[in-house]
Amino acid sequence: MTPIRVLVGVLGMDQHELGAIGIARMLRDQGMEVIYTGCFNTPETIVQAAMQEDADVIGISSHSWEYLYYTPELLELLKQNDLDVPVVLGGSVITEEDAGKMLDKGVAAVFGSGSAMTDMIDTVRNLAASAATS
Amino acid sequence: MKENATRSGINLSPVYGPSDANGDYSRRFGNPGEYPFTRGTRAYSGRGWIQRELSGEGDPKRSNEQFKYLMTLGQTGLDVIGDSPTMSLMDPDHPLARYTVGTQGVSLCRHDDYRQLLDGIPLDQMSISSSGPSMFTVASLYLLAKERGVSPGVLRGSVIEWPFYSEHCSYAYKMPFDLHLRMSCDVIEFCSKEMPKFHGFLEDTYFFSEAGLNAVEEAALGFVEIRHIVRALLARGLDIDSFAPRIAILTNCSMDFYEEIAKIRAMRRIFARMMKEEFGAKDPRSQAVNIAVHTSGLSLTTEQPANNIVRGAVQTVALGLAGVTALEISTFDEGYRTPSKEAHLVGLRTQQVIDLETNINSVQDPFGGSWFMESLTDEVEARILDMVNEIESLGDPAELVSSGYFKQFFHGTMGRYHRQVHDGEVLKVGMNVHQMPAEQDTLLRDISEEKIEPLFDRVEEISAYRDKRDHKPLLDSLQRLHDVVQTDENMLEAVLECTLAGATMGEIAGILRQAWGTPYDPYGHLESPIGSAQ
Repeated sequence: MTPIRVLVGVLGMDQHELGAIGIARMLRDQGMEVIYTGCFNTPETIVQAAMQEDADVIGISSHSWEYLYYTPELLELLKQNDLDVPVVLGGSVITEEDAGKMLDKGVAAVFGSGSAMTDMIDTVRNLAASAATS
Repeated sequence: MKENATRSGINLSPVYGPSDANGDYSRRFGNPGEYPFTRGTRAYSGRGWIQRELSGEGDPKRSNEQFKYLMTLGQTGLDVIGDSPTMSLMDPDHPLARYTVGTQGVSLCRHDDYRQLLDGIPLDQMSISSSGPSMFTVASLYLLAKERGVSPGVLRGSVIEWPFYSEHCSYAYKMPFDLHLRMSCDVIEFCSKEMPKFHGFLEDTYFFSEAGLNAVEEAALGFVEIRHIVRALLARGLDIDSFAPRIAILTNCSMDFYEEIAKIRAMRRIFARMMKEEFGAKDPRSQAVNIAVHTSGLSLTTEQPANNIVRGAVQTVALGLAGVTALEISTFDEGYRTPSKEAHLVGLRTQQVIDLETNINSVQDPFGGSWFMESLTDEVEARILDMVNEIESLGDPAELVSSGYFKQFFHGTMGRYHRQVHDGEVLKVGMNVHQMPAEQDTLLRDISEEKIEPLFDRVEEISAYRDKRDHKPLLDSLQRLHDVVQTDENMLEAVLECTLAGATMGEIAGILRQAWGTPYDPYGHLESPIGSAQ
């Protein structure tokens, strides 16, 4: 079985990388292949990387409210490119209310700082599996 | 945190006794105000510390109102942070800045912004500590003082120099290391001559230690940077005593109570010895380093935000006992945002209660002579020095920056911290222990989660501003700066000229990059106003 490929990145001018790096390591430890795109991404660079790298899941880590603007743009751009890759958001700035809004817009899952590691890993696995069968 | 070890992994005994503390008093400790300054840089004054809270949000005018509010609450110094674009030398109308203008600090990009920012603030009385890019902050403060008839020589405060780590940790300039180092050295040299009371060199170990570093790693990386910058300044032919009195350190403070106190005591001693024994500083002020502290945002949680008030108070007590010069508490809403009005109030009041009601300032270095604390200070010091030597033995620190050594190091510590929190090795009440369901976790939540909207108007305003300027003197000044960069001349005079001609920070930074042979806009959106000048 080929390993799950997860793209992990941070958007805009948000330069808090701790969560992204932590998640990237955690997923790698689970045998997944992580394409780490670091900071200063835009929806365009994320979509481009997701296509080039054939990502199964896109993970966006956020410690800035920029995600509120970029995430809908990212979802739209994925649609325009006919790319059916689930987007997972993570970050302590994401309030419960905003998580709901993002899920409504089409984000596959949202995690906060206190989320259990096993939950995050299982979610990524399940999303990758259902994307593969769809 | 393991029960019997500090966060840095120093094993602790349950009880300490006379055999644990060694060394003769005058050599290792000295009285407060005496070499090697372990016990404090000054003889007892009873004055306590400068009390301030991180501020800056929205546009300069809104931030100015925030400063005045803080002053009415009794704040005794200013601590200003720019928004992410400002901190990264980017103007608000850059395409990548759009959604974050003014949301995590104040948006500043031209001299007029500083005029508004500091309107009505007495420059000759208020210590102004700025986390904003040092070259531009110093240029505008200097010009502003002159405009207001205040001698730049009386300005107090500090700017951060971070050529080693900013690129890989928090705020990237997207500049080659050598250029960033040159900017730092130019600022320090300029301040030592023109603004001698101002700290042109604040070594900020706070921001990079938020990448999950422990106390020993934080201090070690700080000293690697200090040592390298000092060497670079000496290589210019500057006398150590001409600039070393105005080196200060801004450290972090985690929740590891004893170790943080030991760290500060150890850092004062290491600095004193480095300056005196290694660099030959004779002026006692060159050997005595003021340490200011920003308490750890990473130690706080978004869960149960009221718990963060307790964390800030405990950290403040630790720092009061350690004898710091200035302090800002990361406030209870830190997990979400820069401080709200309510959080500012609680942060300052926390400092004031501890300062005024507990008698904490009645005795200096109360831990001095404690078998435990002296033993821990020695151990922390030894480990910091070992790590500095270890890093320097790997090669020229400048090479280590360029080769990505520190970037890898930070990635390692971030991953480690993330794992420690998720494994429960670092306990955080409300987050990984004593959690409560979201519907019960409501105390202070509304205030903590209140957002600061990005300033789309400011984007338009700056964009329109560009065309309103007189282009000939502007372009001439930028061209001159471009030429100066290619000489050994200090760049500040040319930067002052550009600033007065109306240049923005993004333009000046772009010209510096361009003159260094790297792209004007590292993100590839903008073109240089002076074209592809040679």
